[in-house]
Amino acid sequence: MISQRPPLARRLLIALVVLALIAATLAAIVTSPRDPATLLSIFTTRFLGIFIEAVPFLLLGALASGLIDAFVRPDDIARLIPRNAVGGTLVGGVLGFLFPVCECGVVPVVRRLYTKGLPVSVGVAFLLAAPVINPVVLVSTYVAFGFGPVLVGRFVITYVVAVIVGLVFAVAARPRDVLRPSASVMLRGVPAGGSSEAVEADLGLPTLAPPAKRTFRAGLRNAIGTATDDFFDMGRYLVIGSLLAAAMQTFIPQEALTALGSGPVTSVLVMQALAFLLSVCSTVDAFLALAFVNTFTPGSILAFLTFGPMVDIKSTLMFAGVFRPRVVFYLIALPFLLTLLIGIWINFNVPL
Amino acid sequence: MDVYLDGRPLTADESPSRVRWLAWGKTIVLLGLGIYFISTIVSGNLNNYINLRFAWLSYLAAGLFLLLGAFSLVTALRPPQRAPFAGDPTHVQAGWGIIAIIAVPLVLGTLIPSQPLGVDAVGGIDITGSAAQVSAGNAATTFTINPLDRNVLDWLRVFNQTADPAALNGEPVDVIGFVYVEPGYPDNQFMTARFTISCCVADANAIGLPVQWADAPALAQGQWVRVTGTMQTGEFQGKSTPIVVADHIELIEQPKNPYLYP
Repeated sequence: MISQRPPLARRLLIALVVLALIAATLAAIVTSPRDPATLLSIFTTRFLGIFIEAVPFLLLGALASGLIDAFVRPDDIARLIPRNAVGGTLVGGVLGFLFPVCECGVVPVVRRLYTKGLPVSVGVAFLLAAPVINPVVLVSTYVAFGFGPVLVGRFVITYVVAVIVGLVFAVAARPRDVLRPSASVMLRGVPAGGSSEAVEADLGLPTLAPPAKRTFRAGLRNAIGTATDDFFDMGRYLVIGSLLAAAMQTFIPQEALTALGSGPVTSVLVMQALAFLLSVCSTVDAFLALAFVNTFTPGSILAFLTFGPMVDIKSTLMFAGVFRPRVVFYLIALPFLLTLLIGIWINFNVPL
Repeated sequence: MDVYLDGRPLTADESPSRVRWLAWGKTIVLLGLGIYFISTIVSGNLNNYINLRFAWLSYLAAGLFLLLGAFSLVTALRPPQRAPFAGDPTHVQAGWGIIAIIAVPLVLGTLIPSQPLGVDAVGGIDITGSAAQVSAGNAATTFTINPLDRNVLDWLRVFNQTADPAALNGEPVDVIGFVYVEPGYPDNQFMTARFTISCCVADANAIGLPVQWADAPALAQGQWVRVTGTMQTGEFQGKSTPIVVADHIELIEQPKNPYLYP
């Protein structure tokens, strides 16, 4: 559990993306009329611009999730949420403001919340909303886009989609229907005996060290250690995403991008696919979106900024570890369809 | 003899020497990034990358990198008798591949000389000033700026707000920018161009003011110039638009901060 290696498929995918990037870059350099040294300089400036602007938020996000990991127990969150499914779902959607976690941190928190008897719908709303609806993302989106339709749209759409999907689950599911069999055995075990940690250990699930027993100093040390690991884990997606965005701006002709990005439907689909594949942390994806604002439709930018934090390669793998396959399918399909529809609707109806 | 941790044998990935070497790798990258940020701030190269309104974020990043780096250094120096942070199992421990990826910005930032976006980065960008960044911002106050103090962006905003461009005829102009010429331009015209950035160079937009100058072909593409003259309604690329009729063009050095902030 200490040194989990990513599955082979994921490593292959990352390797493929990097190789394709390098190949495309070389092809573009060879065919471009501009001098390779100039191109490299422009590319580097664009890449470092995104990285320098984004990385403070990645660090802040990692630090916040490290501190939460060390000092906040899921019980504290569970206590704040109304037990009523509808009220709980509405609250679950904004809980990220108190517990800023990005999409990588939210899945384990939600799994633990379920062991505390949290209604399914509340967990789903929290799961989908928390990566966007939190203070770090508020500031990073403001820095990237200023106060305006993109910032407001991002928060409103995320909240609406998260609550809708949550309520769908409120109608359709109980905890033991959504979690994987091993995890639902754990659920039944909770009331019978002992702490959820003990139950997790009995079941051979990875045990989360109980934070309550730590001293403040040990907690702080743990928080910084976790933040460092998080930074490296998420930083690679930022670096690869920034390389891709900078390469796209530098090597692909503006007209080609505009052709791809001006279709009211195709542009949304392209940006959703990109958000899924890039898996860039929600704290910094606004800066990557900036690279597309000149060539892509407003609806597609908002779809990128709302769908990506809910569903990407990273979070899909985590969903698959906790939820039943059917539930994983709905957790991907419902946000995908809702953000797609909203993105297309914006393109046709809202002049931004 | 097997090494045990928490009553369980260590795997190869957890061997103390590997963990220790990885801790050194992380330390070097983190401290390196901290030093890179500080040197970028001190040298003024931060100008080349982001809107300085957000410079405080870079100070913050430098501090956090040094904090995490110092912490990582302590971990690397300490005898590795226990595994680092056996906390949340979903936190992946970075291997050499991940450390190498995080080192990419450090390597590029150190090896490639820092350059702002210049004329070569303009490629195909709409340069007529219809961009959103021009229309954004407080256009009403732009009129109150003394014409001689208006930069390229201010002028484009004024154009967008003026119903009758002829009203601007005769206003004095004093702007700086780099020379930008496309193949279709008439011989006696060029653009005085600037990049605007709102957040960072990812949203850079090239904007320009058309200038009439008999010796335009003698100006090198990308050369920074100070243009003084008067505004006159004219024709540029078949469109009626205000044009700067230049009296004097001075070749200048690239300014310390080459971008305009909308």
